[in-house]
Amino acid sequence: MKKIIALLLALTMVFALCACGTKTEAPAEEPAEEVVEEAAPVEEVAEEPAAPAVDTVILKEADDKMINNYSLIAVNAEAPFVDADGNAVADVAVNTAGADALIQWLLTQDAIDMAANHGFEQYGEYLFYAKEDAPVYAGEIAAATEETKVIRLSTTTSVNDSGLLAYLLPAFESEYGYTVEIQSAGTGKAIAAAKAGNADLIFVHSKSQEEAFVEGGFGRVVDGFEAERITFLYNFYVLCGPTADPAGVKDAASVLDAFAAIAEGKYSFISRGDKSGTHTKEISLWPEDLGITAEAESFVDYTEWYVSANTGMGACLVMAEEMGAYILTDKATFLTFYANGGVIG
Amino acid sequence: MKTALMKAIELILNGSLELNNILSVTARMSLSSSVIALLIGVPIGIWLGSCRFPGRTPLLVSFRTLMGLPPVVCGLLFYMLFSGVGPLRHLKLLFTVTGMIVAQVVLITPIVVCNMETYVSSIAHDVRETARGLGLGTAKTFLLLANECGYQIVSAYLLAFSRAIAEVGAVSMVGGAISWKTMVMTTAIMQYTNRGDFTLAVALGIILLSLSLIVNVTISLLQRRLSR
Repeated sequence: MKKIIALLLALTMVFALCACGTKTEAPAEEPAEEVVEEAAPVEEVAEEPAAPAVDTVILKEADDKMINNYSLIAVNAEAPFVDADGNAVADVAVNTAGADALIQWLLTQDAIDMAANHGFEQYGEYLFYAKEDAPVYAGEIAAATEETKVIRLSTTTSVNDSGLLAYLLPAFESEYGYTVEIQSAGTGKAIAAAKAGNADLIFVHSKSQEEAFVEGGFGRVVDGFEAERITFLYNFYVLCGPTADPAGVKDAASVLDAFAAIAEGKYSFISRGDKSGTHTKEISLWPEDLGITAEAESFVDYTEWYVSANTGMGACLVMAEEMGAYILTDKATFLTFYANGGVIG
Repeated sequence: MKTALMKAIELILNGSLELNNILSVTARMSLSSSVIALLIGVPIGIWLGSCRFPGRTPLLVSFRTLMGLPPVVCGLLFYMLFSGVGPLRHLKLLFTVTGMIVAQVVLITPIVVCNMETYVSSIAHDVRETARGLGLGTAKTFLLLANECGYQIVSAYLLAFSRAIAEVGAVSMVGGAISWKTMVMTTAIMQYTNRGDFTLAVALGIILLSLSLIVNVTISLLQRRLSR
């Protein structure tokens, strides 16, 4: 009994100490009133506005080469799934009805309009644009049943980190009764997750990888649509860098010239390095004679300025900000990052 | 840093729905996994510490090796097992809190075992002498030994709990860091840092550190009493 009381006393003491923010050496039996007194000025300070101090700015945008298309692909339950040893696996559980419902809903005119307006109020700029030739769905959407209510959506960090899904999905979930579980990783990893049977649909942005996925038999045509790969939103990649812009990227005639100038002057550049859509795009923009590809050996000679971070878009932006480096990012993530402060204030 | 810290404190004081969910998933995950690891680890630890039998040393060495099992390797292993094409796919444990607990138990149990074994082997001889003097049977000797270990068990539990709550590699792989479902404090810190949202990340970091402080102060107090 004594032991338990001693334990409880110890816990209360620690709580009091934490609230005070004092060091552990301070006397334990401080009166409770003091806790409140000390907490008050803390809140006052918290109300001071934190000025964003991000030095990384958009230097090059809206170039024809910088279009960033987002596509939806439903995963085929009959796809040639294989396990880690390459043996065929037949009975992979894929929620096809749920994936159908989500894709159909995302392509209703209402949802497309919502997606296209996302972020305008908050950032004063559109984060995504609706693709004009995107198929619009006007048919029935099946409500959730006990078996189909959980939908596993594998998507890219740019879609998730920009808040698009958090903004769109509550309307879908409350109307039809589904729960959408979002895993966010680069396009490469998102597609790998789908190939391992861990996703019902993917929402990604890398044309070549998407086409390979569909050709491999992993895509499925959703009722009411013609193709496996449904491209419905787009935005632009932007080349960002420090305001000082030592490489003169701002005045470059095209984005290709801008990348050439960065490589020429050996200015730090942060690469995603994770086979994501952004990474695939970035590789296509370097001067060809550099020979930069997704493989580590290809940039071994450029390590003094070419930083392969192998992480998400946001983490790379943090790195670019800290290092004063150039970076290729999708505009949506950049604007979100900028609005969040993007720097340890 | 200061503004973020102040904002974090404000956020903790106000409490948000998302923060509450992250805290409850974290508590569920770390409490269950540490309790299960304790239930498995303590008997094995006492057994290894008090008995001498053929094969004891290899068993002990393998537990000690497993203490150094990198969490990401454990996470990868269970990701592959539970994956849609993996051998245990029918259990449907990928991206669930249960799956995270399984991975955590595998990570933590060796720590509990080795912690208990070290203590028990130091007292086993004396306890056995006492038991022989009192003329106790094997079962009663074991109970006497378990009784002597009371504080060490609490201490081992706190060790297990602090490991469980601070773990990120395995839980992010097996759990998938899905919002409102498998997002725990450590994975949330990573996610919000990636979004450039340092406020919530720092807030969670502060809570995590505070909990760690509580656990450590309690351990220290217990050990002080133990040594008396």
